Amino acid sequence: MSSRRSFIFMGSGALLGLLMAGYSLFTARGTSTLVVPPEDVALVNQQPISRSDYLQQVQTLYGVDLEHATAAQRRRVLDDMIREELFVQRGKELDVASTDPDVRSAMVNSVEQEIAADAITAQPSEAQLHGYYAAHRARYASEGVMNVRDYVFAPGDSKAAVEAAAALRSGVPAPAVLAKWRASDSGKTADDEFYFAAKIHLGDALYEAAKDLADGGVSAPIERADGIHVLHMLENKKPVPFDYAAARDKVLTDFRNEAIGHLRTGDEGFLRKRANVLIADDVR
Amino acid sequence: MRILLVLAGSACLVAAVLLHQSVLEGRLLRADPNVLPSNPALMGFAVDRGRALFEVHCAACHGTLGQADPAHGIPSLSDADWLYGTGLVGDIEQVVRYGIRSSHPKAWNLAIMPAYATPRPNPRDGAIQPLSPGNIRDLVEFLFTKQGRKADPAAAARGAGLFAGAGGCYDCHASDAKGDSAIGAPNLTDGITLYGDGSRESLTMSISYGRHGMCPAWVGRITPAGIREVALFVYSLSHPRELAR
Repeated sequence: MSSRRSFIFMGSGALLGLLMAGYSLFTARGTSTLVVPPEDVALVNQQPISRSDYLQQVQTLYGVDLEHATAAQRRRVLDDMIREELFVQRGKELDVASTDPDVRSAMVNSVEQEIAADAITAQPSEAQLHGYYAAHRARYASEGVMNVRDYVFAPGDSKAAVEAAAALRSGVPAPAVLAKWRASDSGKTADDEFYFAAKIHLGDALYEAAKDLADGGVSAPIERADGIHVLHMLENKKPVPFDYAAARDKVLTDFRNEAIGHLRTGDEGFLRKRANVLIADDVR
Repeated sequence: MRILLVLAGSACLVAAVLLHQSVLEGRLLRADPNVLPSNPALMGFAVDRGRALFEVHCAACHGTLGQADPAHGIPSLSDADWLYGTGLVGDIEQVVRYGIRSSHPKAWNLAIMPAYATPRPNPRDGAIQPLSPGNIRDLVEFLFTKQGRKADPAAAARGAGLFAGAGGCYDCHASDAKGDSAIGAPNLTDGITLYGDGSRESLTMSISYGRHGMCPAWVGRITPAGIREVALFVYSLSHPRELAR
């Protein structure tokens, strides 16, 4: 009785194993099959054409969903997609990537995006983001805003510039100062400007002198090729650090970008490691 | 022998259940997604499974019920306001499958909200120029006017000019500021805010530093049937009455 039972168990196990192997054999990715999987609309040399892409294509081309598309419209879309797949397969056979810069560029781009997708799918925890924010706090601040006037005195007339600066500091109105010491407003800045814009408009040297002036502050005369400049800061709102809540959106973006960068570097290292790269003697 | 029969019976039962699920999955995938809501049997099958997948893959951002979180730029999935597409199952499925700015080539990634208080508001489009702090204040007043809220009329008038001109806002948000769901540009007149509380401060933040929320692409990570199930679950969140009928 015992040996019979053992035999039955053994036979059942073998049968089960065969069934599982058969199932795997006929359903594994890449297995040649005569049945189109339900998620696809066609197989072209066993390469699937996604049903979702097909539906999207019908919608894009004809502005109707599948239910309302005519048979001719459906057929047209399917024919076009099959044609595209055939040409892509032929392109692989012809190795167009080795000659066509557009294809090469698209492939590099695709692989980079595929690497990035891993980082994007992983949602970092709030603790991770807090940690990142704490480690890079200086990055997260508002852009400073300044309202500054740039007065220009004739080249070499430093005495006038010094006296005018003193007068401005003592509260003499700017129009009176400009009239008395024959200076002019350069017009490079007007009204509130973000720091980056003020830097572009004033130039690096004047911007550096301006950014640390307090409200109402007047710079010392600054000699430039076009004359002597005196900066009068009407209002200077310096960058304000963002708290975590305000910065979170940017923190998440930066965190992901850094993760993507790490992944790309790692993947490139792996590809280089497993590759056989020979470099000509003369360019080593 | 009895054990063997029990084993065989159990195996048959499991096989039958798997076969039944496989058949339902096949029907689910072959159907036009937009007509599935009118099929209670398939919806019942898909929504429960979609909920389980949603909790695993999506709830970290969207919560278990797809509730909005304006502090993090998470849209409500349970209302009738669709940022991308029109709320059809097929539209939702495209988002689940390919994501938004997910780096997938088929993702929704046509537009981002530029950061106008930076030297290059949109790194992908050099034609978009920065705005001044005064410009941004004017735009905020204009948006307040569009939402029927109290605003400085002179500033709002200047903001209207910027919206339709130098700011280039009309290009995505449409000249009536009602947005364009074909590119994910939100309606700025309805008072529904994706980020923040709709205050002057939060609108200033959005205009100044930009927005570009992201949703991952789940293609290749969730099965095709699973993606459709998640889409149907999300659809069920926003159409509870329709499904209850």
